Amino acid sequence: MSQSEFECESGNAAEPLLPIEKKLIGWSLGIGVVSLAILVILNHFLPIAV
Amino acid sequence: MSDIAVKTSDHVVARDRLSEDWLSVAIGVLVFALALFSLSGTDLLGWAITTSVYINLTQALAPLAKGYAWLGGGASLLATYAALLVMLSIGVAALGADVRKFALAFTVVFAIAYASWVAGSYAYIAAVTPAEQQKFGIAWSLKLTNEGGFVVALLSGLVIANFFPRFANWLKEAIRPELYIKIAIVILGATVAVTAVGRLNLASSILIRGAAAIVEAYLIYWAVVYYVARKWFGFSREWSVPLASGISICGVAAAIATGGAIRARPAVPILVSSLVVVFAVVEVLILPFLAQTFLWQEPLVAGAWIGLAVKTDGAAVAGGGITEALIMAKAAAEGIKYQPGWILATTATVKVFIDIFIGVWAFILGYIWTNHIDKGPDKARPSEIWERFPKFILGFIVVFAISLWLALGTTPDIAKALPAAAGEANVFRVIFFILTFFSIGVLSDFRKLWQQGFAKLAAVYFVSLFGFVIWVGLLISWLFFSGVKPPLVS
Repeated sequence: MSQSEFECESGNAAEPLLPIEKKLIGWSLGIGVVSLAILVILNHFLPIAV
Repeated sequence: MSDIAVKTSDHVVARDRLSEDWLSVAIGVLVFALALFSLSGTDLLGWAITTSVYINLTQALAPLAKGYAWLGGGASLLATYAALLVMLSIGVAALGADVRKFALAFTVVFAIAYASWVAGSYAYIAAVTPAEQQKFGIAWSLKLTNEGGFVVALLSGLVIANFFPRFANWLKEAIRPELYIKIAIVILGATVAVTAVGRLNLASSILIRGAAAIVEAYLIYWAVVYYVARKWFGFSREWSVPLASGISICGVAAAIATGGAIRARPAVPILVSSLVVVFAVVEVLILPFLAQTFLWQEPLVAGAWIGLAVKTDGAAVAGGGITEALIMAKAAAEGIKYQPGWILATTATVKVFIDIFIGVWAFILGYIWTNHIDKGPDKARPSEIWERFPKFILGFIVVFAISLWLALGTTPDIAKALPAAAGEANVFRVIFFILTFFSIGVLSDFRKLWQQGFAKLAAVYFVSLFGFVIWVGLLISWLFFSGVKPPLVS
């Protein structure tokens, strides 16, 4: 891949976010935040046994 | 757009990745098995070289076991080099590499890397406590511990990569950081097991909390970085997926796996990978020292943070090693002596948990891409999950499980002798860490950052890493590990 090809491809992409990409981002973040909240709660009630 | 980093990354991670995984399992398990002979009274690895903190160079090197003291430091060093050369040459021959080129390059790599390690053990660099300084008759020291040698090895590699590119290119056959760190991680399974046996409750708690790392890396980091790359920087999907994976998950391996899953051209994840290596070096040079300064009273937060923030297995686990050394040194200076191994074990646990799901995430992305975005005949297959699974983790689990069984399920005599056996294997783990640090340095061509076009990739990485990834990693590490201390030396 030449320098100009690289710049052209990576820098000037005119690909709008598709609905499926928005879904992927949204669901990932949603599930991630909820899962983390659950883990934090579990961590609170089941503290590390030293 | 071709340079040493890209070329070497290519042969390291793309063509040979699967084979290197299995090779690392074979070599790691072999070292562990040889070390286990000491349980029966036969010391097969006691000749291996160890380095002590020194003021007089002649006292720096010695064989590991007293039974081999007659060898002396020089012969022990040569024996260690020869054993590694033979073992790795057979390994790379199986990968189809040029053995003669490898042997020549490895000789130089080993020489510079180990010399760096020895330099890092000089008392003015490594001595930590006032008692040590007094012992060596010195008034000051950098207090880096002898693991400061990792930093010296990394810097040596960086000098070669950035000032002697032709020499770096000549070394490339033996510049295999992925192979070295995977072998080290397999061997690390024994040390982690021996460490965990003393405090099983704490160890299992750390293991369970590794789950948070998976959620963070795959579901939060990835989504945010992908959005930043696509929306703010206008990168195409083909570039954004490997970039998000490289920054969020596990550097090189994840960029290659997800790039392949969405059917990106091979050059794309390879270029991203070379960037990952450069930033990992920057992190390893900065984060352990920040951890020592600000997190020395929260050692496990620091260990988890390094595992979450530093990308690539090599840099992360090796960074965990430096962090442990620095924090233990700082704590020791304050009169607190932590048991070694816990900080590194936390980093390794977090990293291994993240690695396990690379194949699953690659399949999910592959399924979405081949069914909804780039529809074509080449659909993602469930078998790709196994194909992309990092096999060295199996080696780590096997070594860990056998060590745990030997410690808990056999006779008290074996359990008592196990730490010494694991210690013998650990000598080789340290040597593979040194080789990893040096190799990462040699792959890190900073001139790449100034190349037009590539700077934009670096900008995404910089914004995501320093604006988001390391801070969220710190927050989550704090939420799950704050207040938990490693056991003290009794």
